[in-house]
Amino acid sequence: MSRRSAGLLLVPGIALLAFGFVFPVCAMLLAPPEGDAAGVAGRLGGMLTDGYVLSIALRTVRIGLITMLASLLLGFPVAYAISRAPARRAGVLLALSTFPLLLSTVVRTYSWLVILGRNGLLSGVLTGLGITAHPPQLLYTETAIVLGLVQLFTPLMILSCYGSLSQVDSRLEEAARGLGASSGRAFRLVVLPMALPGVAVGSTLVFAGAVTAFTTPMLLGGTRQRTLATLLYDYASVSLDWTSASAVAVFMTMIVLAVGVLTGRVGASRLGARRARKVPPATAGAAGEGAV
Amino acid sequence: MRRRPLLTALCALAYLFMLGPILLVVAVAFSGGDTIHFPPEGLSLKWFGKALSQHSFTSALGTSVLVATGATLLALLVGVPLALAVQRGRLPGRRVIEALCLSPIVVPELVVGLALYQQLMVGLRVTALGTLMIGHAVLLIPYAVRVTGASLAMADPMLEEAARGLGAGPVTAFFRVTLPVLAPGILSAGLLSFITSFNNVPLSLLLTGPGTTTLPVEMLHYVEFSFDPVVAAVSTLLLALTVAVAVVTERLIGFNKVFGR
Repeated sequence: MSRRSAGLLLVPGIALLAFGFVFPVCAMLLAPPEGDAAGVAGRLGGMLTDGYVLSIALRTVRIGLITMLASLLLGFPVAYAISRAPARRAGVLLALSTFPLLLSTVVRTYSWLVILGRNGLLSGVLTGLGITAHPPQLLYTETAIVLGLVQLFTPLMILSCYGSLSQVDSRLEEAARGLGASSGRAFRLVVLPMALPGVAVGSTLVFAGAVTAFTTPMLLGGTRQRTLATLLYDYASVSLDWTSASAVAVFMTMIVLAVGVLTGRVGASRLGARRARKVPPATAGAAGEGAV
Repeated sequence: MRRRPLLTALCALAYLFMLGPILLVVAVAFSGGDTIHFPPEGLSLKWFGKALSQHSFTSALGTSVLVATGATLLALLVGVPLALAVQRGRLPGRRVIEALCLSPIVVPELVVGLALYQQLMVGLRVTALGTLMIGHAVLLIPYAVRVTGASLAMADPMLEEAARGLGAGPVTAFFRVTLPVLAPGILSAGLLSFITSFNNVPLSLLLTGPGTTTLPVEMLHYVEFSFDPVVAAVSTLLLALTVAVAVVTERLIGFNKVFGR
């Protein structure tokens, strides 16, 4: 393929990206339709000293971190089990953990209304056992948001971790055991270091996804437990304050980029020259992030 | 393999957590009561009837299918050439182009939605449907480029060169040799793109309005204001549809090849 024809092939794609992504995002930051760019920067500066917005930002980051850790704790053992299972069973287990990613987030989050709602499963169990007299307030809490997000993102964590774990030759672990290491020690010294790239990618994706998630905090947190995403929505479509909406947008994007750069650094120094290519970026990123 | 009761228990817990709640939605969908109640009060199909007869849901479904189809085709139409140029073009600044193609993933979708609303819908007066399609296509380009790029990287470039050496023009070589080799990758990318677009909420949220709403956004707004189980019925129908797609995919190409790796 000549350079000229390769260049021509780029034209429609670059044009669409420029028109549908680069232009609107840059224009929003540099020239908002109402007010000026200095307005957005000024509002952002004001937000960084505003206790209300800061508490929401803090909650958002806290939810992101807890979600990341919880989905790692739930997902890693599954990924490890899949990587060690015989091919047929591994295929079924992998498909079962991928399937939820194909389902709308609204559907998956709705299920928590059935569990945590006023007449839901959990409140029925609690009042039925006589633990509480009245149906407790379970919805519209931070815990509800975390539960919903962990359910949403565990599959993504499983896929990322499995991407690395499936590259670990099980004979290495057996060799370590044969040379006298306990199974815990073999796991820690042999499996874990090789699994780290997948864990790092999975954790970054889940954190970024949880911090920017909208559906789950909207349905399970409501107006009582706002996150940056629901705050942005409020500014943009309820109070129609675009300057503030853009400022929150910048804030949210900065958090995600900062974490991306940070884990990119850590990952690079840990892995040396080896790139984390073995993690299935296409599918893991694809099905997961689009699903939020 | 050695038996590991702890590992098995942890896995069972994880699968229960991921899949259990979804099954509860199915149970509520068959409820005879008027609110979300578990265990369901009585048994009936009335919520399915209501879901299928409610105009806001059926018209939103139409919009969703239209947007997902249009955006997927658009993303493939520009994404496959992008992948070809990046993988085979020996272009200067390849990494920069690749990074640009993947960049829509980095910015939160809600933020992209806000930007598209301000600049395209309000600024340039593009219709809601047009903006939705452009936005979704932009969101899907990274997947199209990555998935087809991955199958291009595995295909042997010598095949094309052999075709060219045997006298085929570049266009013939592409359609007779490269495209058939890429077909499974393009099919995977298309399926993944369609599902991603169909389920999207954050990008669509600010671009939808009265008259043009996608199904997930309509469901979300409905749940915000009323507590009857209609959305459980819609969810159950979507679940059934997704299972059907998964089964067909498994028969045709293999479920894990497309979605799981």
